[in-house]
Amino acid sequence: MGRTARVGFLRQVLYIVAKDFRAELRTKELFNSMFLFALLALVIFNFSFAGKMPVRILAGAMWVSFLFASVLGLNRSFVKEHEKGSIEGLLVIPCDRSVIYFGKLLGNLLFIFLVEIVSLPLISVFFSRNEILQKPLQLSGILVLGSLAISSVGTILSAITVNTRTRELLLPILLFPLVLPVLIGAVEVTAYIFQPKGTISQWIRLIAIYDIIFLLVPYLLFDYVVEE
Amino acid sequence: MGLDRKTLDMVLYGILLLGMFISLYLIFLYAPPAVNPTNNQPWYEQKIFYVHVSSAWTGFLAFLVVAVASIIFLKKESHLADVVAQVSAEIGVIFTTLTLISGPLWAKSFWGKYWDWSEPRLVTALILWFLYVGYLILRSSVGEDVRRARFAAVFGIIAFLDVPIVFLSVRWYRASHPPLLVFEPGGLDPQMKFAFFFTLFVFTVFYVVLLRNGIRIKLLSDKLNRLKEVI
Repeated sequence: MGRTARVGFLRQVLYIVAKDFRAELRTKELFNSMFLFALLALVIFNFSFAGKMPVRILAGAMWVSFLFASVLGLNRSFVKEHEKGSIEGLLVIPCDRSVIYFGKLLGNLLFIFLVEIVSLPLISVFFSRNEILQKPLQLSGILVLGSLAISSVGTILSAITVNTRTRELLLPILLFPLVLPVLIGAVEVTAYIFQPKGTISQWIRLIAIYDIIFLLVPYLLFDYVVEE
Repeated sequence: MGLDRKTLDMVLYGILLLGMFISLYLIFLYAPPAVNPTNNQPWYEQKIFYVHVSSAWTGFLAFLVVAVASIIFLKKESHLADVVAQVSAEIGVIFTTLTLISGPLWAKSFWGKYWDWSEPRLVTALILWFLYVGYLILRSSVGEDVRRARFAAVFGIIAFLDVPIVFLSVRWYRASHPPLLVFEPGGLDPQMKFAFFFTLFVFTVFYVVLLRNGIRIKLLSDKLNRLKEVI
């Protein structure tokens, strides 16, 4: 019984993800803006550092670009539902409210990850760094771990800020200080993947623990955010 | 409880007023100046340590109260818990601001520069400041009372959980990026220790007084708004 209930839960979550994907496929506006934003940020970083980017700086520039691009996606995540009034529809679905949270989270994570994966070859070309593409598994690993943290905290914050007067303005202000530890860790690990130096196991542990805490706590608190 | 509110207020004010003077005496006259480890001279700037650490502690205590009040609010929907969270966050931001002013002043005399990104306590204080200024902005940008309280409570809990992780991450960051000398207040002599703990106590009383007054003002202004609506 418990087992079937869990399968049902996952399927419900995937329905929400599929719905968001279908909506996105019709317009592609979100992916396009996030992707272009990430690239533009990298172009700006390139000229800010006069083209001379050691791996540590490049890793930092990558993560900053990805974080900023994520904010665009996270902001839209609930804004659309509110503009069209479809959030009411989501809330009357006879399912646990956490399904909405995990569905939105997974959708956001997929969008962010997609943007990152598509950007990588271009980053490798633009900055003449072959090593970016040489360890795709390790790199994808840290991208998922880091982006999971950004989307788990970002999703619940987005559900909150959509109800505020300042909306899009507020999300990065609340999000950035919260994800700072993950950003530090992700940059350290990414730089290590490009050029192994020192140890990074503690950073991976830190991000993993962060991910677990901030999957669990928003899951427990999400009900209060969407409650009418 | 034999004490009514007014008597308790008078007692607290008395302790606070007297305590502040005693604390100043202890810091500047009773406790000997520390010895500067870099040149073995008397190090008068170190006296800022008493105020700096006490305000950092008070700020942290205030944010702990925000988190606890937030949990209570979500459990019981009590208006008082929400008011406590708001007032405590405001006080916490003020004390953290003091920490962020006094810290760099002290750092300047110790490191020769105002700021260092590898000092976990200082950086954590800065992130705390960002988090709770964000918390107050969030509060001010939600119109409806019940939702504001709920959103703030959720953010208040999430923000507080983030603090130890921020601290850890900056510490590990320091481990991989060579640190400056770090001042460990463990080696204080007994007189300095006494002055320090007394100042800590006075700051804590100060926090309680501010919190009580803040709550009273907030509740009165809520009452006033309700009365205005009736009229």
